[in-house]
Amino acid sequence: MLEIKNLHVCVGDKPILKGLTLSIQPGQVHAIMGPNGSGKSTLSYVLAGRAGYDITEGAIAYNGEDLAAMPPEQRAAKGVFLAMQYPVEIPGVTTMTFLKTALNAQRRTRGESDLDAIGVLKLVRAKAKELNVSEEMLKRALNVGFSGGEKKRLEILQMSLFEPKLAILDETDSGLDIDALKLVAEGVNALRSPERAMLVITHYQRLLDYIVPDRIHVLAGGRIVAEGGKELALELEAKGYEHIVGQDSIKRSA
Amino acid sequence: MTALATRREEARTSFSGRGLPTRRVEDWKYSDLKSALGEAGLGEEAAATRIMGLPQGLEFSDLADPYAPAWVAAHLGTLARNAVSEASLAFAEGGIALRVPAGQAIATPLALELSGKGHLRLLLVLEAGASLSLFETGDAAGPRNAGIEIVLGEDASLDHVRLSRPVPGVQVEEIALSLAARARYNAHFASFGGKLSRTELTIALEGEGAQAHLSGVSVLGGDAHADITTHLIHATGNTHSTQLFKKVAGGKARAVYQGRVTVAKGADGADSRQTAKALLLSETAEADLKPELEIFADDVKCAHGAAIGDLDADSLFYLQARGIPEADARALLIHAFLEDALTNITRDDVRGMVRNAVGQALAALT
Repeated sequence: MLEIKNLHVCVGDKPILKGLTLSIQPGQVHAIMGPNGSGKSTLSYVLAGRAGYDITEGAIAYNGEDLAAMPPEQRAAKGVFLAMQYPVEIPGVTTMTFLKTALNAQRRTRGESDLDAIGVLKLVRAKAKELNVSEEMLKRALNVGFSGGEKKRLEILQMSLFEPKLAILDETDSGLDIDALKLVAEGVNALRSPERAMLVITHYQRLLDYIVPDRIHVLAGGRIVAEGGKELALELEAKGYEHIVGQDSIKRSA
Repeated sequence: MTALATRREEARTSFSGRGLPTRRVEDWKYSDLKSALGEAGLGEEAAATRIMGLPQGLEFSDLADPYAPAWVAAHLGTLARNAVSEASLAFAEGGIALRVPAGQAIATPLALELSGKGHLRLLLVLEAGASLSLFETGDAAGPRNAGIEIVLGEDASLDHVRLSRPVPGVQVEEIALSLAARARYNAHFASFGGKLSRTELTIALEGEGAQAHLSGVSVLGGDAHADITTHLIHATGNTHSTQLFKKVAGGKARAVYQGRVTVAKGADGADSRQTAKALLLSETAEADLKPELEIFADDVKCAHGAAIGDLDADSLFYLQARGIPEADARALLIHAFLEDALTNITRDDVRGMVRNAVGQALAALT
């Protein structure tokens, strides 16, 4: 589903990703772990198509198509979803209006007809209930005055609503207490399916206790420096990143 | 000669002595009236105010009537005396005066249309405890100079919405108000600019507990200019004012906000907040935002802020990443930027009309 080959990305003049290679199949959940500044968020932004993140070498194929050639809205319509680390606050647009606008924009790009207001409302209400998102939150301006947990829950609500094929979760655990984390993880796990791939980006092992990945990649210095199964997270937790990053060459040749 | 005629004569002398303001006059720094008008100046013609149906309970008087009732003579020409408003008093050849008697609540909104080129004059008096909703529009003629005086008695309450349209020429408006104790003025100004377009508000909060809440939006494209200049005077303590002005400018447009708040000596407990923000959609658009505070009292709360910027890149990316095409995402963010300045409009139907006008202006702009 997603094939990233030898990806080099610059932000301004600064190289951030320096030859990242990664492959994800439908139904799989992969985790990317790495220290601060390793390029985790850059990877999520470049996959979602943020301006200012320039691919200087390598390629990203998504279901056989060149992802980098698509504007962000087209990626979204084709099923790429990024749950953001810092969801933006937009005063003046209610959450419900935003959800309806986004849902119908994606449908239009795919050549489908708009859902009417009642159809969207029913759909959103059903999803909201599962994620403990209140009616009152939907009426408020998008993310304005939301707690950290509420913002992340709304990200997962969107993921549930848009039904992406590839979901990227960027530091979804940041700023969450354990109860909020569990709720978010439950929401994510409910969306695991044989057709859907997920890329979970996190600094800490904690999130991976709840969203158990099939594969873990360690990102450092803009490249994958170690890979393994879910037990790798525990090793990182016990020994720290320096231990792994320091043994870069050994791990890679193994 | 009647008192009114004397006052008009005095205004004529005063205006001819002072002439049109130039940019050297601080209040007119960003609106070059003299050069926008050229040789012809403001002229001496009279424009008109059309009343679109006089609601029941309102008293009407023609300012051309030399035997105007006492309430007209008591107030006309008393509030503002700058050069431009002296000109409207001198040349309007009349105009209209309206009064809401004490304790009357007028349910039907009063709709006025400022019409034609030249000078016009309007006096509106709300006696103690009276209330009214005023909806003001104007045609595209110009140059036009409107002088409006509004007197609010104790506990009186006025809702005022001015919805202008894009005009090719020059339109200036001087609105002067005085508020007695606990009177309330709630106003919104939606402007879409002209060669030169300006609304100047001078609001004196004279009585304890008087309050004024101002908001406005401007959407400007091409080489449109729109200036809103406010002067809030907290003459007494425990007076309250808020201001929220939002501006969107593209092309070579110029959006101006000047807001001066004066808190007089002894006006303790005065509370004033003003915010002006502008969104520039092109390199050549300009915004001049100038909040000013003059505080002569000790115990006051005053806050002011001004910001000029472009659309937020994080917000734009967020919306695009959710599937909303860039042009739609920009439009959504611009609407959102203006939205909070519209919430001050109390009537839903009027807010809808303003929102439509804003939508049309934005569609023409982007």
